[in-house]
Amino acid sequence: MDLLLQTLINGILAAGIYALVASGLALAVGVVGIVNFAHGEFSMIGAFVSYLLFVGAGIDPILSLGLAAIVLFLVGAITYYGLIRPVLAAPELNQMLLTFGLSVALQNIALLMFGADTRVVSTSYQGATITLGGVSFGVPPFAAFVLSVGLLGALYWFLGKTRLGFAVRAVAQNRLAPGLLGIETQQIYLLAFGLSAALAGIAGVMLSVMLYASPTVGFAYTLKAFAIIVMAGLGNLRGVVPAAIVLALAEAFVSTYVPGGGGWVEAVFFLVIFVALTWRSWRLP
Amino acid sequence: MRKVLVVLLAVLGLAGLALAQTTVRVGVLLPISTVAGKAALNGVQLGVDEVNAGGKVKIELVVVDDGNTPATAVPALTKLMTVDRVDIVIGGLASGVTFALSGPVKQYNPLFLCIGAASSVVEQAFSDYGRFFHYHPWDYHNVAAALEFFKYLYDNGARRVAILYEDGPFGSAGIQTYRQQLQNQGYTVQAEPFKSGSGSFTAILTRFKSFRPDILYWIGYDVDALPIAAQTRQVGLEPKLIYGAPPAWPLGFEKNSLSNDVAGMTAWLPSVANTESRRFVTQYRRKFGEVTDEYMAPMGYVIAQSLGKAVEAANSADKDRIAAELAKVQMNTPFGPLSFKPSDTGRTRFQGFNQSIWLQFQYLEGSRRPVFPASRAARPLRFPGTY
Repeated sequence: MDLLLQTLINGILAAGIYALVASGLALAVGVVGIVNFAHGEFSMIGAFVSYLLFVGAGIDPILSLGLAAIVLFLVGAITYYGLIRPVLAAPELNQMLLTFGLSVALQNIALLMFGADTRVVSTSYQGATITLGGVSFGVPPFAAFVLSVGLLGALYWFLGKTRLGFAVRAVAQNRLAPGLLGIETQQIYLLAFGLSAALAGIAGVMLSVMLYASPTVGFAYTLKAFAIIVMAGLGNLRGVVPAAIVLALAEAFVSTYVPGGGGWVEAVFFLVIFVALTWRSWRLP
Repeated sequence: MRKVLVVLLAVLGLAGLALAQTTVRVGVLLPISTVAGKAALNGVQLGVDEVNAGGKVKIELVVVDDGNTPATAVPALTKLMTVDRVDIVIGGLASGVTFALSGPVKQYNPLFLCIGAASSVVEQAFSDYGRFFHYHPWDYHNVAAALEFFKYLYDNGARRVAILYEDGPFGSAGIQTYRQQLQNQGYTVQAEPFKSGSGSFTAILTRFKSFRPDILYWIGYDVDALPIAAQTRQVGLEPKLIYGAPPAWPLGFEKNSLSNDVAGMTAWLPSVANTESRRFVTQYRRKFGEVTDEYMAPMGYVIAQSLGKAVEAANSADKDRIAAELAKVQMNTPFGPLSFKPSDTGRTRFQGFNQSIWLQFQYLEGSRRPVFPASRAARPLRFPGTY
């Protein structure tokens, strides 16, 4: 029973960071209509911002969350103006090739600047543990989960309760009509892409605490984020958290209960993508 | 008239020195964007500086990045051989890359001085190549050294080993043999694969809890070091020793309190107390302004020094004459004595070091300290460690 409970907790806590990465990607796909393959590299930049602030100024990664979000918002805004906006009307294949190229370019820039080595920050709470009865879990994944829930709650509130949020949702539903109503579509795109990058940056800071900073740290999470947004339905922000929980629980159960399951974990999200796409195609007329 | 004579004598003297000096161009093919590759290059350059300062041999280096991937390394070697036209190559740090280089090396026939590449797959690939000098111990040497340490731990009460191995070629090659050898020593072993870089170990570590391992032994990469150290605590596993076997450790890991008491294996540390090691540390600090604890730095240094000796003895830039002299080299190094013998399997003719260079270290108070074997230990092993 303890093992089952522990597995459930492991899965649910892992879902926090997955949801944080995937919600940014869902925002880019749902509002701007861009499949951003460089989303993981925004997380990588966030991880390096955290690492550099820690090494250079001794700033705790938790304190650098806000700065990382601002930096990544700016990176997202510049990327939108410089690269995304010119191809908004281009075929989707061109857009995907562009973001894929951006992903490769950002990884290589990081390689040139920092080398291929893994870098870790050092905080007092990385190994901190909470024990409840027979189960225990780490403070950093718990904090990441709480942060994710808080940020996503704020995002849902913004989208559902504010005029600007309504405008974002309107643009997500129809690219032309909001313009006729006086909504500045380009500014909404800019805001959405910047927020998407900022969420990735925050996830990157958490990755620097829980894992490491390296040029490739975001890659694995991009793949998982794609599985989540496919499961949630492309662009469906509200489906992101449940989908993240399903994926993380599936991974936790495979890891725990399938012999040698640790090696199969990465296959789970491919299976999820496969099942979700196949199921959707059967459901559609 | 007297002035003219002095100038003439000086010119003749310089010309004589130039005639006596043997110049060789050497290609260096390393992953210079990695810490290990950069350290190796620094070591080579330091060694070459000393050789060149001796005046009898001049080594000119042509450095190219192998990118740590075969796709970059093979064209880089081709460029060294066809454009830069070197006859001697120092390189081969990663096994996968070196294996991919075996074909092109045999095609171009350089004298290949291999700095790393411990996999016996590489030994097999170069088994019919007579200009292959392998300095680094082979993987079976590494296993022998680790097993010696595990025997010591068994004698000190350890009985159960949980092995976490990454499911790629690095972690999973030979895992069954390794498992068998530990069982032969009397250990009960439970082994589980994982995906390196995933950062997800809680599920496997939770499963290990019921096994109650004395030793958590992980075979993976630097990206796995911190998550394993953190999540071991988070699930309350409490082994007596966390022992890691990555090719390199993360930068800054030693400053993280989670690294404390984590053990591993290396071939050299700056605190190794032999004359050559101390001399190397002094020279390295003088040239680069810092001390490295990457053993690839002294390995590169040793290669350059031994090459210098061989070129001097050959008194020629001919690669076969240099190879013949290199085969006879005997010298003291920061790792201990170096001489070339056929490898233990007999597959390659020129093997430099063996398991005797390996030492076990433990992260203690912010740095790596040698703890085993006793003859090379700077501190006693903390066993059981606190995690």
